[in-house]
Amino acid sequence: MSIPTVRVLYIDDEENNLQAFRASFRRQYEIYTALSAAEGLLILQNVDVHVVIADQKMPNTTGVEFFKSIVETHPDPIRILLTGYTDIEALADAINHGDIYRYITKPWNDLELHNSIKNAYDAYKAKIDLRNKMTELEKTNDELNRFIYSISHELRAPLVSVIGIINLVKMEDLYHSSGEYWSLIETCSNKLDYYIQKTLQYYKNTKDIPDHSEIDFKQLVGELIDLHTYSDKDTGFNVSINQNVKFVGDAFRIEVILSNLISNAIKYQKSNELNKTVNIEIDVTDHQANININDNGMGILKEHLEKIFTQFFKSKMHHGSGLGLFIVKEALNKINGTINVSSNIEDGTTFKITIPNAK
Amino acid sequence: MPNKTGKVLLIDDNDIDLKINYKIIKLSGFFDEIILCQSGEEGIEYINKNLNEPEAWPDFILLDIQMPEMDGFEFLEIYKNFSTEFLDHCKLAILSSTLDFGDIKKAEANPLVLKLLKKPLYPNELQTLLHKHSTLLGI
Repeated sequence: MSIPTVRVLYIDDEENNLQAFRASFRRQYEIYTALSAAEGLLILQNVDVHVVIADQKMPNTTGVEFFKSIVETHPDPIRILLTGYTDIEALADAINHGDIYRYITKPWNDLELHNSIKNAYDAYKAKIDLRNKMTELEKTNDELNRFIYSISHELRAPLVSVIGIINLVKMEDLYHSSGEYWSLIETCSNKLDYYIQKTLQYYKNTKDIPDHSEIDFKQLVGELIDLHTYSDKDTGFNVSINQNVKFVGDAFRIEVILSNLISNAIKYQKSNELNKTVNIEIDVTDHQANININDNGMGILKEHLEKIFTQFFKSKMHHGSGLGLFIVKEALNKINGTINVSSNIEDGTTFKITIPNAK
Repeated sequence: MPNKTGKVLLIDDNDIDLKINYKIIKLSGFFDEIILCQSGEEGIEYINKNLNEPEAWPDFILLDIQMPEMDGFEFLEIYKNFSTEFLDHCKLAILSSTLDFGDIKKAEANPLVLKLLKKPLYPNELQTLLHKHSTLLGI
């Protein structure tokens, strides 16, 4: 392993000290010396120095004053203060305002100073590494955002065109013209679209910081029911919403939560049930929103109840994506909500949710 | 309902979608005339060209959001400067496949946008919207 070149700048108004320093350390480090703060600054501006050592007692500018002056302009180099006398005030000042890493008394002990420089360089490296990692992370995040955006547009747009064409085929009465091929294409397209939508919901949920907007549950639930009953009008809805107070919460996540639960309530009905019903009750207080969503659908097996909120859990009989309830749970976690489920095969399923009111 | 000579202007850079939506509207018979524009610029140009001929004005515009050069929102920025007379005559809805929460909220917040319709276009969805605003549309 090659030993990294450590660049050390030492500022002291006494030429002898500079020479002694050079003599002791020139084999280990790349050494720059300066007789005054001004001269030191000039070096800092031209050389990428890792560790700066400054004497406290210098005419014109003291070591601490010098360190203070470069906090903004040269934040990276690690600072070591050398001083011949113990001045508590200067020391406190140095630590509080000069961003000092070590304080060493004169005359220095070679081994102590050597160790300090070594540690200072490690600290420098850690600082730079961290910054590089942050930049890298920001870049990755940025790319992920762009990827998600492109999923929602570029990837989905052609799929939606395909679904549009299938609709046209239906309008022109050609749907049954090729055996079941059109319906197979439709099933696949819808499935793909569903996955794209859920993936987006999932990423958006993990990434975004909760927002606070006013929510009108009556309007929101109405819109969601319209949206989900568009293609399937068999299910009847009883909606009772009691909202007399203002509710503030995360619009996107609350929409995702309700949307997934309403869609599930419609999707997992008993096929032979004549009176498919979903009851939605929402009671909004100053404190929280209590939401009950109940259906008389096929219910959830007892042994499945604990697993339904885990990612990619799906029961054998019903082909979900294994993402819907997982996303619901994740979204509720983000906004400090809770969810409880009770279900049996005879009566159907009830989800009870609470979401805190952030007003 | 007075004259049923509705004109609809479709603005979409994707020619397949333009074709599909043309067909859907044609088959549903909601409008007599369908004008196709492949970009926001083309849409603005059409309106500008016919400013002095109210009988050539579209009654309804279906506008896509994601388009190169001028996107739907930029189109709306220019569109809002047309005369009140024109804007009273012609109503507009967004037709987009976007799932972007920001885009959706932005579209819904625009006073000139009656509604954000999601692709694919469903005839009954368009019909409901047109019906709801039939007095505005005068068709």
